[in-house]
Amino acid sequence: MKSGSPFRPFLLAMLVILLVVASVPAGPVRAQELRIATAYKLMTLDPHYANLNENTSLLSHIYERLVYQDEYLNLKPGLAISWRATSDTQWEFKLRPNVRFHDGSAFTADDVVYTIERIRDFLKPPSGGFRSYVSEIKAISAPDPLTLVIDTNGNVPNLPLSLSSIFVMHRTGQEFQTTDELNAGSPPVGTGPYRFQSWSSGEMLKLVRNDDYWGGRGAWPQVTFRVIESPAARVAALATGAVDVADAIPARDVASLKQRGARIASISAARINFLQFDVGRETLAGVTDKSGMPIPNPFKNPSVRRALAMATDRGVLVDKILAGYATAAAQVFPGGLPGTSADLQVSPPNYDEAKALLAKAGFPDGFNVVLAGPAGRYPGDGESLQAIAQSWARIGVSVQPAAYPFSVFNTKRASGDFALWYGGTSGEAVDIILHALLASPNPDRGTGALNFGHYRNAAFDAMLAKAESVPDGPERNKALADATDFVMADQPIIPLYHFHHIVGYGPRVGSYVMHPRGWTTAMQTLPATE
Amino acid sequence: MKAELLRVLNKRPPPRMLTPSMLLIATYILLALAAPVIAPQNPYDPLQIYAWEASSPPGTAGSGGFLYLLGTDGLGRDIVSCILYGLRISLVVSITSAAIAALIGLTAGVSAAYFGKWADVAIMRLVDLQLSLPTILVALIAIVTLGPGIDRIILALIIAQWATYARLARSVALSETRKSYMDAARLMRLPTSRILFRHLLPNSIAPAITLIPIEVGHAVALEATLSFLGLGVPIDKPSLGSTVANGFQYLLTGQYWISLFPGLALFGLIASINFVGEDVRRRLDPRSRSV
Amino acid sequence: MALISVALGRLSQSVLLLLAMSVIGFIGIHSIGNPVFNIVNIETATPDDIHRATVALGLDQPIWRQYVLFLDNVIQGNFGTSYIYHQPALALVMSKLPATLELACVAMLVAAPAGTGVGLLAGRRKGGLFDCAALRSSVFALSIPSFWLSMMLILLGAILTGWFPSGGRGATTSVLRLEWSVLTRDGLWHMILPALALAIPNIALIARLSRSGTIEVESLDFTRFCRAKGLSPRRILFRHTLPNISVPIMTIIGLQFGGMLAFAVVVESIFSWPGVGKLLIDSIQLLDRPVVMATLTFISVAFVALNAFVDLFHAVLDPRVRLAS
Repeated sequence: MKSGSPFRPFLLAMLVILLVVASVPAGPVRAQELRIATAYKLMTLDPHYANLNENTSLLSHIYERLVYQDEYLNLKPGLAISWRATSDTQWEFKLRPNVRFHDGSAFTADDVVYTIERIRDFLKPPSGGFRSYVSEIKAISAPDPLTLVIDTNGNVPNLPLSLSSIFVMHRTGQEFQTTDELNAGSPPVGTGPYRFQSWSSGEMLKLVRNDDYWGGRGAWPQVTFRVIESPAARVAALATGAVDVADAIPARDVASLKQRGARIASISAARINFLQFDVGRETLAGVTDKSGMPIPNPFKNPSVRRALAMATDRGVLVDKILAGYATAAAQVFPGGLPGTSADLQVSPPNYDEAKALLAKAGFPDGFNVVLAGPAGRYPGDGESLQAIAQSWARIGVSVQPAAYPFSVFNTKRASGDFALWYGGTSGEAVDIILHALLASPNPDRGTGALNFGHYRNAAFDAMLAKAESVPDGPERNKALADATDFVMADQPIIPLYHFHHIVGYGPRVGSYVMHPRGWTTAMQTLPATE
Repeated sequence: MKAELLRVLNKRPPPRMLTPSMLLIATYILLALAAPVIAPQNPYDPLQIYAWEASSPPGTAGSGGFLYLLGTDGLGRDIVSCILYGLRISLVVSITSAAIAALIGLTAGVSAAYFGKWADVAIMRLVDLQLSLPTILVALIAIVTLGPGIDRIILALIIAQWATYARLARSVALSETRKSYMDAARLMRLPTSRILFRHLLPNSIAPAITLIPIEVGHAVALEATLSFLGLGVPIDKPSLGSTVANGFQYLLTGQYWISLFPGLALFGLIASINFVGEDVRRRLDPRSRSV
Repeated sequence: MALISVALGRLSQSVLLLLAMSVIGFIGIHSIGNPVFNIVNIETATPDDIHRATVALGLDQPIWRQYVLFLDNVIQGNFGTSYIYHQPALALVMSKLPATLELACVAMLVAAPAGTGVGLLAGRRKGGLFDCAALRSSVFALSIPSFWLSMMLILLGAILTGWFPSGGRGATTSVLRLEWSVLTRDGLWHMILPALALAIPNIALIARLSRSGTIEVESLDFTRFCRAKGLSPRRILFRHTLPNISVPIMTIIGLQFGGMLAFAVVVESIFSWPGVGKLLIDSIQLLDRPVVMATLTFISVAFVALNAFVDLFHAVLDPRVRLAS
């Protein structure tokens, strides 16, 4: 055809190029490279910048802690092989010998001194998110290279737990390393099982095995983390074999992943999602009677709170909305973990009794309320608002769900715009959550940081303070469980569920061990035996 | 203008795509108006939505007593209802913003042409300033500043669109002011408002009118894009754009219906508006005859 | 000279524009919410931590003072440090630039020849079958919302067929200390779908333009003389018609390139393409104000500069423009 001829060479060239490109597969998989798709957006290479899973999960390959929490949240030796309280205000840690940093220098107690001083004295806000973990440390000294002595302000029985969050850095000179220096790429030097190779902030982290690691050689010569924030894209990457492990899998995608041959591991997260009431103010925005007239704060009455808790159908949330990948909650941690009470059980909803209780409290016709919550932050958050609206409608309480993007939600919640909201939190231990969520807000003592509802219960505060002063062990757990029993009877929050962390893995990975804190690391994998 | 229209109509055979497009638009408008009556579910009412029936494929039976013809979205809302209610939002937002933007733009452009000097410089400076940025960026900045909400989106779209009308109206009005009937009006000492509104404006309108259908199409796409980026309608009020956006994450795991069907509806709406716009332009604007 | 005065006018206009846009963007981001909640761990931070972080970022000052501080820094070339990534905002934008540039260039390299070719063939036989089909499909192509087009491309190209990856950028190689993925096979493979998403509306636009230009030129006298002379239609088309329509097409290509940078915002979000557009959306959602301002400024400057360059180019190439002004 005459009209097409001059185009022909050009078209032919494009066709050839396309064919060449098409014949090459989408990128070779190097032998024994572990590719992980993670939702955790690595923001900085400074391990002390902020206490966020986004950073700690990935940086835990390079850096290590003195003690670490295993899958049962028990403390195990890390860079410290033993520790004891030598007095009420002093702890002694014995450090692990023959440990080397990635640059070859030896690990000594002086590095721990440097680490703690950097967090406590050097880092300025907005960095230094670990400051509260070391604020109780008065002095730290190293009598010999493998012994560390820490003096505290007062009795701090859970100092080892606080130290389990802190990565140990190497002292590299007279000055403290700044965050900018670390981000710019002077390679981060730690003692961990993997060395830093390269990174692109928010996109990718490449690690290479540390063959001299004290704990033995890791299973994978190379590990590449690809940051994929969109859950669907992560799932797609795993389903098409572009990655070997993908974390934070949404519950609804488990079935389709299994169909594609991927395997799933899950564990109940050390987290709690709940509804929280504003019990402090006299009148609340959005809370009215059926005709729209504002009413005095109904949540000040514990019977109202208990009635609403009785009318909450956790079964629907767990089974239908989260496809079974959640555990109904009656307290702040999943039952069985240290500090939880065996007496608190989840009961199915009882609408008749709830309605009667509500009537007795003075609301026979119920009332209207606005239920606020973040959208897309926690698994099942938006859907829970709807489902709760439906269950409470059965006892006459008419709920208007209001979902906001997370930053907007936080801002509004902090300014007191909400009467009732859906929230979530996590922590290293039960007492840390109780301390932040249910203890009376007291800036001096640092309690009640998440107690946006202004719930004040002096008896509970006393019980909690007493429990926190007990050294680690079964006695402390019992004291915490008792405190939990006591405060939950008053229903300051309605615990909803502990969602499960779900991780999917492909054929090259033999098994994956889940951690309730939600960390995703190469150390939790084992390669498939060929 | 009427005579010109008749001449054009008599000379050329009507283009073939006219009738189907206009029919389609009429159907869309009827559906949107009738939505509260014909939609099986009101997606704004949380009590009608069953959260555990989320992401059900098309054809599943629902607890509300009807069939989910096109499936449900991530929160359990029936897709057919989302499309019908979303159409309302799309049409209301786009038509309102296009109409008001046209009004403001025309007035501004005509005034700039008529009053000249400082008014002209000021208005045209503003117009050039705004037109030197891509529309989507202007809309993005506007919506980020104004905050979420349907009224804010309309405002943002008006801000993004008025300049196009202003520029066109000004150039047409400029050539009109030089015509003899304007001199006559001025000599007769007619009040300014009368000259503007009864003489200049009606004669400058024709090319701008050809712009309106196309701009309505742009407005629909712009609102959908803003909702898609999460900056448009609030999260719990589905518009076509936000439903498609929410459906994206389900697309990658095979649940295509949440993004596919509302997207098709959106596509059909914009395409038919553009086809009609094409025809209106071809008929009314002899300058663009060959295109 | 006229050109210089035009250039100066453009410059002053651009500065005004950037100032206006910076004020609006600044106020807008400020009104969404407090970015501190994205920086500290909301679940473990005490109100004291939050307060200290707020002060450290200067967010406790009145908004006008923050803006003045911002302007002061910008004049010295400093857009501040990202709240989230703790890197200089401008450097962050520049590091994401190669990704967007290579995507836009590849898309334009596909769209320009394809669009011009379709338009030439359509315009040559106006009213013919190819012409009608081309016209109709161009309206369709211009009506598809860009985000839906991207999604459908992913559905068809990645999910249902598995031919292409569903998102992300491929392997990169380092050239001039910047990372480019267009030079690797894996990179090209990842680029095909997003480039198509950007290219398709532009193919339609360029096709329509070249079609109308072709029709106009074909109806001119000299084309008839060429035919009378006995030149083959193919030769007329490519040796005579094409050069005559190239100037407006070049202009549109230049303008559309700038538009592509703007529409890349949507396409990059959907394909998780780590470019400037995705950075803008992500930082708006994270309330990372320094990065939002840096990105907005950069995109606006690029767009305005591109427009000015295209106008200059047009004036230089087309003597009619120069003589008219």
